[in-house]
Formats: sequence, C-alpha cells, structure tokens
Amino acid sequence: MTITLQIEDVDIGALIGAAKQPGVGAVVVFDGIVRDDDITEMELEAYEAVAVAEMEKIAAEATLQYNLLHVDIVHRIGRLSVGENILVIVVSAGHRPAAYAGSRYIIEEIKKNVPIWKKELTKEGGRWVPGEHTHGTPL
Amino acid sequence: MNVRVRFFARFRELLGTDILAAPAEGTVLADQIREIARKNSEGYAAIFDDQGDFREFVIVMRNGKRIETTDAGTTTLVDGDEIAIFPPVAGG
Repeated sequence: MTITLQIEDVDIGALIGAAKQPGVGAVVVFDGIVRDDDITEMELEAYEAVAVAEMEKIAAEATLQYNLLHVDIVHRIGRLSVGENILVIVVSAGHRPAAYAGSRYIIEEIKKNVPIWKKELTKEGGRWVPGEHTHGTPL
Repeated sequence: MNVRVRFFARFRELLGTDILAAPAEGTVLADQIREIARKNSEGYAAIFDDQGDFREFVIVMRNGKRIETTDAGTTTLVDGDEIAIFPPVAGG
C-alpha cells in the first residue's frame, strides 16, 4: 500500500502491477487530472502530515468496508500543468463491484476531509478552488 | 511557552505560515489567533466576523485534530501546541 504526497508524477503502471495480488479479480484506477478551465497552471498545497494521516485512515476504512485487497493513494503537490495527474487512486478487490465502490468511497472522502487546497493560476492572477464541503466531519 | 501556528491556502497568503508565538500561560486558542491575524486586516476579516468570532467555514486544528471553532474560545494553549487554521479543503 502506497499512501503519499509527492511533487513528481505517478507511475500508474507500476501501481497497477503491485495491485495484482493473489485473489484479485478487478483493479480500478481513478486518475484526477488538471482540467483546462482557461488556466495556465494549478498549484497544490497540503498540510502534509495531517493529509497523509487522513488518507491512511480513509484507505483503512475503505479496505475494511469493501474488502479491498490493495489500495494506493498518490496525491501530488506543487505546481502542475493542464493535463497532468493530480491524484491517482488504485484499488483492487476480488470482484468489480467492491473495487468500484471502494474507489468511489476514497475519492469522495478525500474531497471532504483531506487538508489539501488547489489554486488555479490564470493570466490575470489566481483563484483558490472552493471546497465542496464547508462542514467536513471532524478528523 | 511556545506554540506554532500554521495558516494554509488563502489564509497563508494573507498571514504567513509557521508562525512561532510565545503566549502567556492560560492563553486561549482564539485569542492567540486573533492577535496574530490583526497584523493584516484582510487576513483578520477572512477568518473572523465582525463580532470577532471564527467565520463558520473556518477549520481549526490542534495537534492534527479538528476542534470546533465554538470551542476555540475556551481551549487553553499548552506548550508545544501546533495550531492550524484553514479554509474548506479542496483536494482530489
């Protein structure tokens, strides 16, 4: 299991390979990328120690709840260009319903509770992306 | 005693981060943050309302654990505390 924040890009192929463990019948990959919303770049900032701890907690919850066999969460920080990977979640399970559900659970929990922020940089300056959840559950 | 205060995202741009403070014994969390935030009126207004209360969307953490902003006025700081103040998260 790899749960990390990193500046460098993600080797998704290597993560998929590691997820193919005995008993695996499905691997689901979520790859969030920088969308071209008329921006030049995106800058990501994290409260690093808390963000990693919270992602580890989410991975453990998902593993238990959906009987996942493997979970990787790699969230990038720093300055990214349009089209670059922001977040890669790789999960594996015995069957596809659990893998899909586990992957969905993880991304939704990350958006609610992991202290990471995104600033879209434009030719005119920059704008912070508003959080979707103003009242996340206490960590 | 010494405490560390960290602001993130827009609050960091306005107030800085990794601020070391040396409050007197018995200082409560909210008072310490108000004192630091007063150095920049825009930063103060981003975090506190006209009554000096935390705005409802502001998130406060003490040593990596979230606390309710309504409890920040009665939470006494302890030597070595790390306080984090930030807007709603937007990762993923």
